[in-house]
Amino acid sequence: MNHRFATIPILAALLLAPIFAIGCAVQGRPFEKASSPPGNAVIYVYRPYNYASSLLKPAVTCGGESASIGPGGYHAFVVPAKHTVECTVETETADQVEIHAEPRTYYIKEDFGWGVLRGHPHLNPIDADQAQTEIQSCCVLEN
Amino acid sequence: MTKYTIAALGFAVALASFGCAVQQPTLPPEIAQTPARPLPFKGRLFDGDPQELPPAVAMSLSNDSPVIFSYREELTHDESHTPLWISAFDPATYAGTATGEYGVTAFASLSISEGDTVLADYTAKERVAMPYSMFKEPTHKELDRAARDAVRPKIDQKLYGDADRLAQTIASSAPTSIK
Repeated sequence: MNHRFATIPILAALLLAPIFAIGCAVQGRPFEKASSPPGNAVIYVYRPYNYASSLLKPAVTCGGESASIGPGGYHAFVVPAKHTVECTVETETADQVEIHAEPRTYYIKEDFGWGVLRGHPHLNPIDADQAQTEIQSCCVLEN
Repeated sequence: MTKYTIAALGFAVALASFGCAVQQPTLPPEIAQTPARPLPFKGRLFDGDPQELPPAVAMSLSNDSPVIFSYREELTHDESHTPLWISAFDPATYAGTATGEYGVTAFASLSISEGDTVLADYTAKERVAMPYSMFKEPTHKELDRAARDAVRPKIDQKLYGDADRLAQTIASSAPTSIK
């Protein structure tokens, strides 16, 4: 009898887990290049899907603009060139990347490490050739 | 009795792990303590950010000099982590001991030329690493800044060691360029 009662919650958890996992992924349009006026830099911040920390969606700020990027999503920040732009994200800890913006494209990958109560966010500058492949295969522009 | 033993053990672990808290890197004393001074000649910046230069070069800029400085820095990031299956079961992890480190290697190159002649070419490399714990992590900005601050004095040291030769070469080729 006890054995049967223990089995029911496990089965329920197994059935519900995929639903939650699917629900966490961002839905939207496939990657497309952002248009920007001349003399601007474009910073793509993208976040490949990972089940761990998928419920976290902290705001990423680049220059004066902020965007909450979900798992499997990306956001294009258009910032004026010839300026130093700081991109920041914060949960329990913070990460900060400084970019001396030239009129070109930059890529930053957001991921999460282990934390005490919430994952620790990381912003990693990525080389263009690697990032272009990753962002096109992993990430969508959130609706 | 067992409770007291566990409490004492926990206290000892906490004490030991405080010594492993995340620390800021420090530059080697011979680099950190050398005051920057201007070079015996001036140059103009051809390639590089005027705000992001080795101190000696930054102090020796002049827009009308025939000598050209070209400075570049490249940063490479690396990281190492204690495997989760070890750190997750290690009580010291939860007391704040480091569970890995983030590193940045800064590679700097400075080229000094006059006309078509390259007078000098210097390179330097410096790696800076900062540990992280479950409670505290360095930011990319802190790491990058520390690596840049570490590599620039190395370029300066090479430049100071060669400054007299450079000054003589520049003076012999174009005496009016010496400021």
